[in-house]
Amino acid sequence: MHIPDGILPASLCIAGYGATGAATWYSLRQINRDRNPQAQIPKASLLTAAFFVASWIHIPVPPVSVHLVLNGLLGTVLGYYAFPAILIGLFFQAIMFGHGGLTTLGVNAILMGIPALIAYQIFQMRHWFKTQWGNITLSLFAFLAGGIGLGLAAAIFFVLIITTIPGELDVTTEKNAIYGLMLAHIPLMLIEGLFTAMLVIFLNRVKPELIGD
Amino acid sequence: MKFGLDDYAHLESPLHQWEPRCKLMGLMGLIFAFAMVRDHRLILPMLGVSAGIYALSQLPVAYWRKRLRYPGFFLLGVVGFLPFISGQTVLFQLGPIALYQEGLLAMVTIASRFLAIITLSLVLFGTASFLTTIRTLRSLGLSPILTDMMVLFYRYLFELGDRLHTMQSAMRLRGFKRTRLTPRALQTFASVAGTLLVQSYEQSERIYQAMRLRGYGQKNVLSQIQSWQFKDLMGLGVVLALAGTFIAAEFWLSSGIL
Repeated sequence: MHIPDGILPASLCIAGYGATGAATWYSLRQINRDRNPQAQIPKASLLTAAFFVASWIHIPVPPVSVHLVLNGLLGTVLGYYAFPAILIGLFFQAIMFGHGGLTTLGVNAILMGIPALIAYQIFQMRHWFKTQWGNITLSLFAFLAGGIGLGLAAAIFFVLIITTIPGELDVTTEKNAIYGLMLAHIPLMLIEGLFTAMLVIFLNRVKPELIGD
Repeated sequence: MKFGLDDYAHLESPLHQWEPRCKLMGLMGLIFAFAMVRDHRLILPMLGVSAGIYALSQLPVAYWRKRLRYPGFFLLGVVGFLPFISGQTVLFQLGPIALYQEGLLAMVTIASRFLAIITLSLVLFGTASFLTTIRTLRSLGLSPILTDMMVLFYRYLFELGDRLHTMQSAMRLRGFKRTRLTPRALQTFASVAGTLLVQSYEQSERIYQAMRLRGYGQKNVLSQIQSWQFKDLMGLGVVLALAGTFIAAEFWLSSGIL
């Protein structure tokens, strides 16, 4: 779900870089408020690499297999580090594999990173529910964070692709295409949400400090 | 696991010898100028310039072909339908399927921009070592947090990739087959990813302590970079002038002056 080079108009690419600059500045400001931000850098870097590698796991969805995006999960685990982590991951994906592109790096960072930050906020909402159903609340908010993280990214991706492709597409065709592609992504949102919930439960059992508990 | 990002960084072409900051600014300027190209009359000059720069870099054609395979397929998936759904002028019709001129032209323009930009990206990152690229970004003002994260990310990516490969081999040897999506299979995948995260987290704590012992945070070790020479600035001027020419030509052509 990365927009490649050459598709978007240059003005949008530059605006993407501007928005990414602002989001990175905001994230770094939040990170620098930490008592010792340097101590978190190895953790964030290695977890970013681990997320990058984990997204290579292919999940069978017959007749094909899909790989997970994990931006919602990245937000839930890394918090404000998620945006710089996504920016770095996308930069390497662009230069090493050609997924995405250099001109579209800013736009891709926004479409993956902002949903990750929203997923982080959604996951934090679990603290509002101080109940005896600890694991249920945890799984529910992890599911929402994972599913919404992917869903928002897919929505931004399709809206950008369909509305910026030159040609003679009319508004109805564009709307139908966006709705159709979004509907096709609902099963993937469910899988991503379930996977995030299962992984968060696993981390809560094995290494609770990874999810901030 | 190896990705061969800087397999050809040791060559001695003019592009390899160009001062990294000038190269980054010049080629990024040209890349963004190419991103602005809309008029189909600029397609051939754009492809010609990018091919010329690639030839000057002395990078092998096989490297370009290999790097283009995956993004090329992806791009075709995104814009390959355009000639069949977009436009009014029918070029060819076979039953309900029509090929439209406007859609075809849009697809050719997008694919050409993509080819030109990705070719320049390969030159930009293929003609310098990864560490030089990071140093260049740092010297151009990239945040130290991002720089450190990039270096550590790149250092451990290969190692974690190998670890995942080992875990997946172990799963297969124990009889796990990934043919159907069941809750049990999804849970197994989640456990594999979780194990990878936990191991990385524990390793990161050891790495941080080792880095502190070696003086991490005391000085900036990535700041050394070679100085600019006249020929580097000349190169930068020529490439930026070329970028400016493309932007001006696009502006004039789209406004109907030419």
